[in-house]
Amino acid sequence: MKRMPLALAAAVAATLALTSCSGGTSPSPSDGSGAEGPDALNIGNFLDVTSWDPSLADIGFDGPYLSAVYDALIALDADGAPIPSLATEWTVADDDLSIDLDIRTDAVFSDGTPVDADAVVKSLEYLKAGPRSGEAYLNVASFEKVDDDTISIRLTQRDDTILYLMGLGRSYVMSPASIEAGTLGKEPIGSGPYVLDSTTSIAGAEYHFTKTADYWDAETYPFSELSIFPITDATARHNAMLSGQINVQYGDVANLEQAEQQGWNVAQRVSGWAGLVITDHTGAKSEPLGKLEVRQALNYAFDGAAVLAAVGSGAGVSTNQVFPDGGDINDPALNETYAYNMDKAKELLADAGYPDGFAISMPMSPIFEMWKPSAEQALKELGVTVTWDNMQMPDYQLNAPNYPMFISFLAMDGNDVATVARQVTSVQWFNPEPDYAKNDVIAPLVEKVQTERGDAQTAAIEELNKALVDQAWWSVWYQANNTYYMATGIQLQPVVGMMFPTLRYISQG
Amino acid sequence: MLLFTAKRVLSGLVLLIAVSIGTFFLAHLAISDPTASLLGTTASPAQQAALAEKIGLDRPLLVQFWDWLSQAAQLDFGVSWRNFQPVSEQLAVKVPVTLSVVTFATLITAVIGVAFGMITGLRPGTWFDRGIKGISVVLFALPGFWVSLVLVMWLAVQLKWFPAVGYVPPTQSVDGWLRSITLPAISLALGGIVAVAEQLRNAVIAQSRQDWVRTLRSRGLSSARVNLHILRNASPAALTVIALMFVGLLSGAIVVEQIFSLPGLGQLTNQSSQNGDIPMLLGITVISIVFVVLINLLLDLVLGWINPKVRVA
Repeated sequence: MKRMPLALAAAVAATLALTSCSGGTSPSPSDGSGAEGPDALNIGNFLDVTSWDPSLADIGFDGPYLSAVYDALIALDADGAPIPSLATEWTVADDDLSIDLDIRTDAVFSDGTPVDADAVVKSLEYLKAGPRSGEAYLNVASFEKVDDDTISIRLTQRDDTILYLMGLGRSYVMSPASIEAGTLGKEPIGSGPYVLDSTTSIAGAEYHFTKTADYWDAETYPFSELSIFPITDATARHNAMLSGQINVQYGDVANLEQAEQQGWNVAQRVSGWAGLVITDHTGAKSEPLGKLEVRQALNYAFDGAAVLAAVGSGAGVSTNQVFPDGGDINDPALNETYAYNMDKAKELLADAGYPDGFAISMPMSPIFEMWKPSAEQALKELGVTVTWDNMQMPDYQLNAPNYPMFISFLAMDGNDVATVARQVTSVQWFNPEPDYAKNDVIAPLVEKVQTERGDAQTAAIEELNKALVDQAWWSVWYQANNTYYMATGIQLQPVVGMMFPTLRYISQG
Repeated sequence: MLLFTAKRVLSGLVLLIAVSIGTFFLAHLAISDPTASLLGTTASPAQQAALAEKIGLDRPLLVQFWDWLSQAAQLDFGVSWRNFQPVSEQLAVKVPVTLSVVTFATLITAVIGVAFGMITGLRPGTWFDRGIKGISVVLFALPGFWVSLVLVMWLAVQLKWFPAVGYVPPTQSVDGWLRSITLPAISLALGGIVAVAEQLRNAVIAQSRQDWVRTLRSRGLSSARVNLHILRNASPAALTVIALMFVGLLSGAIVVEQIFSLPGLGQLTNQSSQNGDIPMLLGITVISIVFVVLINLLLDLVLGWINPKVRVA
C-alpha cells in the first residue's frame, strides 16, 4: 500500500512544481511549567464543532474547541471532581437548595468587557434555556447576583450532579453582548485562553486561534499557537499526523503499533461500556427478565474478554460494572462474579423455569452490527431465541427503549454520583422507565446515595455498585478505551465523560 | 435553439420540484423523530420535546412542508437543526469545496482522457494503443479509496508535497488551494480517464473510416486539421461520459472527502444523515439537483451546437 507511485500522479505533481508543506514544529522550551514541547498544538479531532454557541454545543468532542474560546465557571479534575476555574470557590447550603459561587475579578472577555456577576448570571440563564446545555440545570429555580463577584444558584431540589455537569462543559461563560446579539454561533466571544481567528479558519476543515495576551491562567495553556482540525476518518487523521499536519489526535487503536514505532506518546482510558441494556427488571415487558436468575444467566453466558478481543481490538477492560475502571467505585474483584460459564448460565435459566430458553425481540442497527455475531452465538447457545428488528440509528435510539433488552454502547461518566443518576435513576433513552424503586435490594441503596454526603455517600455508591452487579442489572461485557496519540513533547490526560478532553488536559512534556 | 433551451429548463424545474417533494416526505418518513440523534445519547425526553417544539416538529407534516416549500421558493432553506445556522450559508461554504475537486477532476479527466483517446484512436493497434489499454484495465480495476490512500502515503506523508488532509479556499491562497484539491481530484479522475479515452478511441476509429475523412485528406488538408474534424465528430460520446462523470462525482465525492477530510457536500451529507438534520439534507438535495440539471442542460446545448439534428429531438 505504501509503494505504488503512479506515473500519472507523479506527472501532475511534477508539473505543479510544489514545495514542501509540512506543518510540523520543532520542540522548543516553553515558559511556565519548565516542561519542553512544541509551541504549536495542532489537534486532529474526531468531529467538527457542533456550534460555537455553548448552549447548542455537545460535550463529547466539542471540548477542545469551546475550551479554547470560553472560560468555564467550573472545571473538572481528571477524575471528574469539580475544581475552580472562573468560580474560585463555592459553598453548598446546608439544605442543599442553593450554591453560592465566588467569581474571579481579573477575567476579561475578548471584546474588552469584564467578566462579572451580571455576565455570569446572564450566561447561566442562557445555558439553562439552551436545548443541549439545559441538561445541567433541570433543577435550577434561578440564578441570582449576590454582589459584583458572587452569584447564587437556587435549586428546586437537591442536585448532586450539577457541579459535575457544569465542569463537564456546561458552564462556559459568554459575552452578554454576544448573547443579546445572537452572534455566538459565528463569532464566539468568551474570556478563554485563545480567540478564534475567523480570517484564517476554514469552517469544517481547520480552526486557528490566537493566544489571549495576559490570560489569568496562562500556565495551564502553554501553547503559543493552536489549531484544531476536525477529521472524521481515522486513517485520514493518522496520515495527517504522519505528515506532520497535526501533533495530537483522537486515535484508532488499530494504529497503536505504528504509533509506538513513530515514538509518539500514547494515552488510553475507558470511555464507555458495551453489553446488553436491560430496561425491564420487573418482567413487565418480558417475563423472564424479571427473574434474577435469568439476568444472571445472561451475564454468565457472555465471555466479555473474548468479545473485547474480537470486537474492541482488546482496547479496554473486561468487566461487568458500569462504574469506570480505575475509578473510586469500580472494584476489580467484582469482575469475577460472572466469569464466563455457559453451563452455569443454562443451570440458572432452568432454575428460573426456562429449561428450554425463551424467545425475545431485540432491535438492531448498523452501528451495533459488530456485536451481533457474539450476542447471537451466546444467546443461541443459552437457548434464547432472538428476533432481530432492523432499523437505522436515529430510529434505534427512538425505538430501543420499547424493547426489554438491547445491545448498546453507552458513554460513562467520571463522576460517581452522575453515574448513578445517568445509568440507574434518571430517564434516558436507554432507561425510559427507571424501575430501580421496584427492586427491594437496589431501592434502599439508591436512597442512601441520594441522602448521604461525602465519604458516606461514596461508601453507599460502592455498596450500590456491588448490588447492581449481584442483581445483574445489565449484562456488561467490557469497558472500551479511548486512545490518543501525541507527538514527542506533548502529553494528554484522558477524562472519562469527555470523548476528547478540554485543552487544560493537554500539556507540554 | 431558444425553444430547445426553454424545454430543457422547464423539464429541469419539474425534476427539481418533484425530487424536492419526494425527498421531504421520504426524509420525514425515514427519520420519524430526529431529536434523539440531534441531542445525543444523554438527552432527556423533556429536552427532546423542547427541541421538537423549537424546530417545529410538533406541527402537522403538511404544514411543515408548505412552510419549507414557500421559504425554499425564496431561496431560504431554513436553519440547520444541528447548529441553527442558515442552511444556505453553510451550503455556500461547502459547495465550492466539492465543486473545486469535482471540476478539477473533470478537467484532468477531459484533458488526459481526450489526449489518450485521440492518440490511440488515430493509431489503433500500435504499441502505445496496446500499452494504454493495458494500463486502462489496471486503473479501472483499482478501487478509488485504495488509490487515494496510496497517493496520500506517497505524495503527502513521505514526500510532503501535498497536505494529507484539509482544504484551502482560493481566496486565501491559490497555491494552497491547488495543493489541497490535487490528490482528491486525481483519485476521482482515474476511473473517468479510462472511460473517456475508451469512448473517444472507438468513436475516432469509426470516424476515421468515414468517406468524408478520406475526401478531406485527398484534398490535401493537413493532418492536424483533419484530426480536428474527426475530434468534433467523435466528441459527443466522450462529452456525454464527461458530463455523466461530473454528476457521478458529486456523489462519489463522499468517500474522497472523507479520506482527505475535505469540508464539502459529501461530508455534510454524511453528517446530516447521521444527525437527522432534515433541512440540511433538503438543501443539499436541491443544490445537487440544480447541478444535475445545469450539467445536462450544458451537455444538451453543446451537443446541439456540434450536431444540429439533436435540437429537434
